[in-house]
Amino acid sequence: MLTNDLEVTVAARGAAAAEQDLAIRVRGLRKSYDGAIQALDGVDLDVRRGEVLAVLGPNGAGKTTLVEILEGHRAADAGEVSVLGHDPAASERAFRARIGIVLQEDGIDGSLTAREAVELYSAAYPHPRAAAEVLDLVGLGDRPDIRVSALSGGQRRRLDLALGIAGDPELVFLDEPTTGFDPSARRHSWELISALRDLGKTILLTTHYMDEAQHLADRVVVIARGNVIAEGTPDTLGRGAGEAALVAFRIPYGVAADELPWPADAEIERRERHVSFRTHTPTRDLAPLLTRAAENDIELEALTVTRPTLEDVYLQLTEEPA
Amino acid sequence: MTLPTRSDLALLGRWLRARVTIQLRTGRAVVFTFAFPLVLLVLFNGLNGNAKVDAVGAAGQVPFAQFYTPSIAIFSLTTACYTSVIIGIATARDSRLLKRVRGTPLPMSIYLGAWLGGAALTGILAVVLLFAVAVPVFGVHVYLSTLPAAVVTLVLGAACLSSVGLAVATLAKTADQATPIAQLTFLPVSFISGIWFPLEGAPDWLTTIAKAFPLEHIVHAFDRTFSPGVTGGAWSPHDLWSIGVWTAIGLFVATRRFSAEPGTPEQGPRRRVLRRAA
Repeated sequence: MLTNDLEVTVAARGAAAAEQDLAIRVRGLRKSYDGAIQALDGVDLDVRRGEVLAVLGPNGAGKTTLVEILEGHRAADAGEVSVLGHDPAASERAFRARIGIVLQEDGIDGSLTAREAVELYSAAYPHPRAAAEVLDLVGLGDRPDIRVSALSGGQRRRLDLALGIAGDPELVFLDEPTTGFDPSARRHSWELISALRDLGKTILLTTHYMDEAQHLADRVVVIARGNVIAEGTPDTLGRGAGEAALVAFRIPYGVAADELPWPADAEIERRERHVSFRTHTPTRDLAPLLTRAAENDIELEALTVTRPTLEDVYLQLTEEPA
Repeated sequence: MTLPTRSDLALLGRWLRARVTIQLRTGRAVVFTFAFPLVLLVLFNGLNGNAKVDAVGAAGQVPFAQFYTPSIAIFSLTTACYTSVIIGIATARDSRLLKRVRGTPLPMSIYLGAWLGGAALTGILAVVLLFAVAVPVFGVHVYLSTLPAAVVTLVLGAACLSSVGLAVATLAKTADQATPIAQLTFLPVSFISGIWFPLEGAPDWLTTIAKAFPLEHIVHAFDRTFSPGVTGGAWSPHDLWSIGVWTAIGLFVATRRFSAEPGTPEQGPRRRVLRRAA
């Protein structure tokens, strides 16, 4: 009896600690527009403190609605939402002081300079960062006195990022942070987001780029048709639910296919000299093949072993049912 | 409802300065609020050949500019406080500037308060500039005895026009609608409010309509303080009362309408831009 009680207490404490460890907790979240379009249909979501979570999903999947509810821009129809222990719908000032929002296409007064904009928009936070430091971080430090209206598209996005982090928030929402960036600006932003993670910030980002999710996120959530349809680390998702590796090569001329030791349980596809098969055990299946080939000095042309990428899995997951 | 703290007042001051800076750096606002009224002053003067007119009573001859300078001043004030607030707020909403503010700990009341205060200060500045030219160049008189009433009318008028402007701004669904809404409400009312023509010969029904709007009261109360031969302080309590009531109505409507959730994401500005381009 005593042991059981103790176990229960320990388990309860563990659960409470896990709760406190969560930056975002969502249960059964629903939201519809005009009573007709079901944008979110019972979403559950946990984001740990210090975690970088990427939310993927096709346009119209409910990503924006989800993020806007978490930011306090919209009220949910039903469900529990807790962000940093607050109900975002209450839109308390104390809550807004702890989050940073980087949305695409949010306006800003064009006649302000970059430095003035950062100083002005961070003034309401309890502990704003120095404007010069923030502009340095996003790579605008060399031109603090440029007017906002004179910034290029990419520079504007960097200023958006600067405004999102200028208040030194604990939780940062990034809405497609690198859409429209050139490759070097994109790399720079990735470094910046990694730097934010290293500072212990919790980051929720939405993106269309699989490589971005793979590069930045600790965990990925895929949303489609108002539901979370998959979640995991970029690697586990990439491996997919039981997705096998694909082995492919060309049989050289003068080699009879029958001479090669094929794996017994794999379904082999052959189109003339092109051979491919899917296997969960590529090492075991390739070993006899490669040994035989090497012994007989046969070169298996264009030999590849590939795993489905996050992109493949994503496309497969979000495909509209026929 | 909590009382504003000292840091909130500092925040308001900071945003107020920023709003005035933004206004002064915006070309359209500078042209319409500062330059255009000065052009009007010079044009009117040219058309009238800077005529002297006989004033009522013992005031003797006064320049014609004595009568139209206060009216042009109120025109300038309306441009700064009413028209520019409507266009500015609608544009800010359309470009998702208001949404940005909503995502920060800056209270919307401080943000909008700074907007109104900034518009009022800019308008008052434009009026001061107008008189700074009209007094030495065209011989317009500013009377010390009526100056307090003139200043109070100007300040209350600025508050009234900007708060009514904020309320009207909530009617505009897009920035495109804001300019016609601002002009179509301001221009007809300005014609019946005594800015361009004196109302003395107007039929009663027109005067009644004019008096239902705040502009006539602002024009009347302000013009009176520059009227030659006026005695006493030239206070217009009835007009000031109407101006105060309109200020309250404007603020009430604005605060009631200013809490709405933005539309569905599908109806966001991005879509609208695409449709317009198509």
